[in-house]
Amino acid sequence: MDIYSAKTALVTGSTRGVGRIIADHFLKHGAEVIGFARGPSSLESQAYHHVQVDLADPLAIQQAFLGLHKRIARIDIVVNNAAVLTSQYAMIMPPAAAQAMVNVNLVAPFIVSREAAKFMRKSKWGRIINIGSMAVALEPIGDSVYAATKAGLSTLANVMAKEFGAMNVTCNTLGITAIESDMLAQLPRDKIEAIIAGLPVPRFAKAEDILNVVDFFASDASGYITAQTVFLGGVN
Amino acid sequence: MEPEVTEAAERREEIVRIILDALKSLNQELDEGAQIEITPTTPLFGPDATLDSLALVSVIVDVETALTLKWDQPVSLTDDRAMSREISPFDDVGTLTDYILELLQEISPA
Repeated sequence: MDIYSAKTALVTGSTRGVGRIIADHFLKHGAEVIGFARGPSSLESQAYHHVQVDLADPLAIQQAFLGLHKRIARIDIVVNNAAVLTSQYAMIMPPAAAQAMVNVNLVAPFIVSREAAKFMRKSKWGRIINIGSMAVALEPIGDSVYAATKAGLSTLANVMAKEFGAMNVTCNTLGITAIESDMLAQLPRDKIEAIIAGLPVPRFAKAEDILNVVDFFASDASGYITAQTVFLGGVN
Repeated sequence: MEPEVTEAAERREEIVRIILDALKSLNQELDEGAQIEITPTTPLFGPDATLDSLALVSVIVDVETALTLKWDQPVSLTDDRAMSREISPFDDVGTLTDYILELLQEISPA
């Protein structure tokens, strides 16, 4: 069923991993998709519009939106997915890596959401979905800044939910567990498996687990669901 | 009339039109009893203004968007400079026009 026909979705980090899964899903179900990512995309679809943008640079994001204003009339759904992760003991974490996580994981979703909200304000409908992390609840060693940025992402959504509520724009966060991806490959496998073993549902996330909640947050019927964080796998 | 004087007057006229368009757009969203008066001296902020904070944000967003598209670069009306002024650029349509003209003079001198 084309549940996203006549909808335009913007997905950050759309070239790989979770972002690619979500972009493919939206396209499969009828949406026009705008993808923001630093590199080029291999996604081939007439309904896919790729924008190469460095999400660590707020001015570059604003320039990207300036281009969108000239090309498109609406943005209905935003998925703030792009993130960077450096997992390291705090005492030896490079400050530049910490800053990059703040810029990409927190400031970029702020800029993207606020610029997209300017489109949504006109159509009086919008869905902003942030991709959070189980790291917020589990607080793993080495993830001090990463977990803090993802916690901040929930707070960002909750405040924006209040500001955008009158425009019929909802803002929610999906806290995902580990899924096979390039980001996961950066982490020690044994430590990830130990964390997964301790979850109420002790397995890695599947694409369907993520898409199920994305569809729920994005649906017309979820207009009364906002400022919520849903964790997968029983994390809380 | 000197050409630069004409150009400056045209630019002012255009800025006023952009702000008034934003107010008209706001009125389309407001109930009949809450309509904003649309004049070149309409108060936007402060005790005489009838706009609430969200309405003022809507006007600022519409004006910023129109300026950004017209001048082909991001224009921000709410940076530190605007917020730290003794006389707020958002007092009324006239003060906002003056402030925008000042900003545009830096981006693209008339």
